Amino acid sequence: MSTAIVLEDVTVAHLGRAVLRDISLQVGAGELLTILGTSGSGKTTLLRAVAGLVRLQQGKVRIGEALASEGERLLLAPEQRDVAVVFQDLALWPHLTVQGNLAFGLSARGVPREERRERIATVLKRVGLDGKESRHPGELSGGERQRVAIARALVLQPAAILLDEPLASLDFLLRRELLQLFRELLGEQGMTALHVTHDPRDARALGGRVALLEEGRLEHVGTLESLAGRGDLPYARELAGT
Amino acid sequence: MGRSLATRWEQPAVFALAAAVFAAVALLPMLSLGGELLRGDALSHAARALSAPRTWKLFAASLGFAGAVTAIALVIGVPLGFVLGRSDLPGRRLALWLHAFPVFLPPFLLALGWFHLLGRGGLLGSEVTARALFSPAGAVLILALGLTPIVTALVAIALQAVDPSLEEAALLAGGPWRTATRILVPLVRPAVALGALVVFALAFSEMGVPSFLRVGLYPGMVFSRLGGVDYAPGEAFALALPLFGVALLLLAFERAAAGRRSFAVLGARSREVPALRLGRWRVAATLLAWSGAVIPLAPLAALALRATRGGGFSRIGPSLGSSVGNSLTASISAAGAVLILAIVIGHAAARGRRPALALDALAVLAFLTPATVLGVGLIATWNRPATQAIYGSGAIVAVAFAARYGAIGVRAAAVSFAQGSVHLEEAAAVCGAGFVRRLARILVPMHARGLAAAFLLALVFCLRDLETAVLLYPAGEEPLTVRIFTFEANGSEAVVAALSCVQVAVTAAALLAGSVLLFRRRS
Repeated sequence: MSTAIVLEDVTVAHLGRAVLRDISLQVGAGELLTILGTSGSGKTTLLRAVAGLVRLQQGKVRIGEALASEGERLLLAPEQRDVAVVFQDLALWPHLTVQGNLAFGLSARGVPREERRERIATVLKRVGLDGKESRHPGELSGGERQRVAIARALVLQPAAILLDEPLASLDFLLRRELLQLFRELLGEQGMTALHVTHDPRDARALGGRVALLEEGRLEHVGTLESLAGRGDLPYARELAGT
Repeated sequence: MGRSLATRWEQPAVFALAAAVFAAVALLPMLSLGGELLRGDALSHAARALSAPRTWKLFAASLGFAGAVTAIALVIGVPLGFVLGRSDLPGRRLALWLHAFPVFLPPFLLALGWFHLLGRGGLLGSEVTARALFSPAGAVLILALGLTPIVTALVAIALQAVDPSLEEAALLAGGPWRTATRILVPLVRPAVALGALVVFALAFSEMGVPSFLRVGLYPGMVFSRLGGVDYAPGEAFALALPLFGVALLLLAFERAAAGRRSFAVLGARSREVPALRLGRWRVAATLLAWSGAVIPLAPLAALALRATRGGGFSRIGPSLGSSVGNSLTASISAAGAVLILAIVIGHAAARGRRPALALDALAVLAFLTPATVLGVGLIATWNRPATQAIYGSGAIVAVAFAARYGAIGVRAAAVSFAQGSVHLEEAAAVCGAGFVRRLARILVPMHARGLAAAFLLALVFCLRDLETAVLLYPAGEEPLTVRIFTFEANGSEAVVAALSCVQVAVTAAALLAGSVLLFRRRS
């Protein structure tokens, strides 16, 4: 079941410098929200704050009904938040096979062996990787590795999925193909998704609302078109120009 | 045109020079050992020595001894590496430093400290503790406590090098325990294998602890053939052969288990990852980890107490002689030479060049080869009229140190170079900089800390050496470790304890000075 994500006045600092400042944001259950922004704007930190991988300086993060972070306290550990992340560098465990990468989280959640096998088979088929269960990440192409990372997140059937620029390093054709896959999968599963990218074309392809981060501040939340109309923001001016 | 031709040949020429020097230092002794066996009646000596049942009994005992030390070091060191390297244990960095310190001291010195604690007249001693101490099990435990930090430190450092995303992805899906056991342990397996290998090699080579605790082992038998009532150098060459066989097996294991991957074993994270939570195990883990950090230091406290109570420090002068100077001269010269060779060979190894990887294997083989074998080979190589200037002076000790500990420098330098982007070097090359200029202006300054660490590691390993130096030192040139070892048999206990404290102080000062340089903030 998908879950809403709520951030209230979230501030995160690193080495004494605020990386996120007073961010308040709500992602509805089953909604896809894309966070846009240039490099260093705080996009990835925002995802890591939701996942519980960084501590807040102040503010709150709620996942569904549960208060996950409050100020510097992590009330829910990362593994208790029921969120999955597709990392920018994919973070596939090199010593495990495709099957092993997908089974890791399921066995941690106590999913019985038979059900595990079925869920893995289903999701691998869905992302077009059936027959490659016994390969290691190093034996796969770039696109296949990307699919494994997506499958690893989806097989957990998490309450929400966090996508950290998962398509950043791909060529145009592969990017288009995977965007299509993302759109289908998120639509099918009705899963809450928080997607981070610097590229507005990805946001356009996936649809949904967008939020703009600049230097750690949330400057806009709305449609991509409404963002393009914000002439006071440099990113929006660039967007309108494209 | 002439200039571009010169730059083109710079790298092969510099590499060939470094390779030739290192081969002369490390390869010749091994070849000379073979040559000695083909001379005169050496083969009949060999047949006699190797057919004696006692030879193989001691050989098996040595293998068992080193195996037991390695097993204990792994059982303690791997979990301790996790707790001290990645957990939320209070004061874990300090605990890691304290735990690691004894590894930089000669193990027989720790045995001496335990003797002052648990020996018959020791602070906590009784008949029972003394009997336990002077036994094979006592020797195994003391050496294991001294060498465990190698495993702990390699695991802790390897954990720092694991890509943070791999750990975070696992934390999200499986929590800390599963992350540690299913993801991190397999990822640091090359470091564990390397740690096991180094501990086994050092334990197999160890002579000081077993001979102090009256435990007869194989290296001691080889050593006895090179001096004293059992003097029979021909037999020593023969007896060295099985040890060399073990070294070759260890090298094969190292190549299979770690090999080039060990260049990536040590490294630095690009960003911090939250510490693994110990949860309800925190109190128990804290007690155990801090015990692991403090207990190995107990013998040092006992040495200091024995030296103070017996007035050892006031009578130390004549016994100390020039041994500290000898130690420092030989060790600094060797570490300096190792650093220069390591910069050239380590750089080429990090870039995957085959000749450099062969030299890396040679360096590892020289390190894994028991000191007695290398020492015997060095005697066979350098004890000639033409090379008396080296063999008859302290230079032979420096040469021996460079041969034995070259691997530490080459590996540390290669790790540092492997972490730097090759593009930075290529950018300098396309600007027209030749190899020497790239080394001097780009690579060495960029990797100054890694190279300083290589020097420091080589230095402290030279300072702690007993087994290599004791075979080769010329009269009046003995380093401090040899002086303590020889006085320990017939000198005053308090003075020997005071000499041991000087060894501890010299090592601590070297580590402290090195750490200040390594960890100071860049301006």
